[in-house]
Amino acid sequence: MSSKLFNTRMEEDIKIRSYYGKFIFNSHFLVFLMIAGGVLLYTLLGLRETLSPSIYIDALCAILMAVVLLPKYRTLLKEADMLFLPPYEKKMTAYFKRANLYSLSLGLALPVITAVAVLILLSIGHGLTTIVLFFLLAALLYFSGFNIRRLSVNTGAGKWLITAVLIAVNFISLLLVLLHPYFIAPALLCIVIFTAIMKKQSYNTISWLDYVQYEKEALQQYYQTVSMFTNVKRIDKAFKRRRFLDVFLWTPKADKFNKKYMYEYLFYRSFMRDHDLPMIVLRIIVLFFIIIFWISNIYVSLIFSLFGIYLIVLQMSQIYTAQAYLLWPKVWPVKRAYIQKSYISYSHKVVFIITLIFAVMFIVTQPAEFFYAFLFPVWGYVLNRILSKSIYKKERELSD
Amino acid sequence: MVLEINELTGGYSKEPVIHDISFKIEPGEIIGLIGLNGAGKSTTIKHILGLLRPHKGNVKVMDQTIENDVEAYRRHMGYIPEAPILYEELTLREHINMTAMAYGLTPEQVDQRKGPLLKRFRLEDKEDTFPSHFSKGMKQKVMLICAFIVEPELYIIDEPFLGLDPLGIESLIELMISERDKNRSILMSTHILATAERYCDRYIIIDQGRKIADGTLDELRTATGLHEGSLDDVYIQLTGGNSHEQ
Repeated sequence: MSSKLFNTRMEEDIKIRSYYGKFIFNSHFLVFLMIAGGVLLYTLLGLRETLSPSIYIDALCAILMAVVLLPKYRTLLKEADMLFLPPYEKKMTAYFKRANLYSLSLGLALPVITAVAVLILLSIGHGLTTIVLFFLLAALLYFSGFNIRRLSVNTGAGKWLITAVLIAVNFISLLLVLLHPYFIAPALLCIVIFTAIMKKQSYNTISWLDYVQYEKEALQQYYQTVSMFTNVKRIDKAFKRRRFLDVFLWTPKADKFNKKYMYEYLFYRSFMRDHDLPMIVLRIIVLFFIIIFWISNIYVSLIFSLFGIYLIVLQMSQIYTAQAYLLWPKVWPVKRAYIQKSYISYSHKVVFIITLIFAVMFIVTQPAEFFYAFLFPVWGYVLNRILSKSIYKKERELSD
Repeated sequence: MVLEINELTGGYSKEPVIHDISFKIEPGEIIGLIGLNGAGKSTTIKHILGLLRPHKGNVKVMDQTIENDVEAYRRHMGYIPEAPILYEELTLREHINMTAMAYGLTPEQVDQRKGPLLKRFRLEDKEDTFPSHFSKGMKQKVMLICAFIVEPELYIIDEPFLGLDPLGIESLIELMISERDKNRSILMSTHILATAERYCDRYIIIDQGRKIADGTLDELRTATGLHEGSLDDVYIQLTGGNSHEQ
């Protein structure tokens, strides 16, 4: 009975994933992935020829795997379950077993893809035994990490604390194995101790509140990840006051204190105070700068810069979508056309500033080919126009 | 005429929720739109606001229909929803500014009008705070401030007292009476009849999507023969104690 309930929810979840998957893995993105993957593979194979064995390469491999081995735990529980399921708690074993299998399958793709890149790097100075042990341990860490994560939900332990400890355990264990195969023993011991602690801390009965809250956060996290690539309707928007940014926020003078400029006034505030958006933009810029700087290849720099701008422009459009469907624009005596006009004005300005940052990053890493950087503002402008038009079209269709 | 509704039939889908509703509001009137949960009050309000398209009939605000000029139609109306709807990313000051910009107020007018309203609802020191962090009652006060700062000809208030503390209710009643004295009109939907009885000039009673009565309390008493009856008694008599909820 309970496994049937899980299966229904799993089917719903798969439908949602395939719905967003279609938008994320569109033809443009797939082309980018193929090019980026090819460039990365080419670079890694090149590095394999030139680099000599070093602790830094081992550390890099260990940290990469340590991060991607973090398991997902999705119970697919809903808020109403807190009321309706506790009487059936003892009959929920099948439900949670199915949830475990589903969760494990969800988290597999990223470690497998990363393992390919890590395998190339590990072949610099390591024999087959060490490599096999490394990946066996990685697999073990994945399953034991999942077990620890699952148990931790029912202990009240902080989610971030568990994540930090898991990354540390993964990193140290994997690095030790690369230093000497015998070091697998303390790594295994560490896993056993950590699991035992979690089992001891775990409540005797299911803490429904914690489980439901955990699932809610996991779902929002999924939507946030998806929202980096496409618009997500179901995401809970959260905002932070960030008083220190008030000085940068445009306030209209008397001549612009009117309906033509009111949405621009709103959009700047939505952007600067969005809980995630400024941080996502910042993360994309920093991450792409690290990649561009590290690989230091003209093609990689160019492709990653253009892709970084693409990701950020995609992110920007969620602000328009969030505002366009609210009640007040339908009640205020203001033409809806002003929302679009204000969005165009706001987004072009913000996108221009972001493309300038990418241009500077590009010029710093590739000073000889600085002229390519002039492409970025044009690329940002064109992308913004195309993506905005598709949102307006969607909005028109919905309002019809 | 501030508001004129003629034979309005409509709802959320093809199946109508309200049927052939007609009534008028003169300048300087406070009208109670009375009915139980699901009677059709909020649907009527949504039609007046232009959020729903009528199946039949029309709505005029200051002689304007929404089809003729949407901006001119909405300019004369201020709306206070049943549950506060706020921009989570805007402070109280910014909510006021957005409303002011939408209705064409100058910054000077805003400065002049907002002080007394903030004081009345005891929010003077909260201008730079996100109202989304306020209690439900305080959020409702933000809605009230945003509507009253505009000083429109017609206020549409959906269940005005929900979530307000006694002082808030008293401030709102004072404000409504003061606006009526300035010849502005208020259409207020409620199912709390005892409160409505205190200050409404006229009542429009809706039951199961149809207008079943329209008049002052005395007129309704005469119509029902309950000469000493309260609005509750009159309502029960008119609807036959029908508590059907849609």
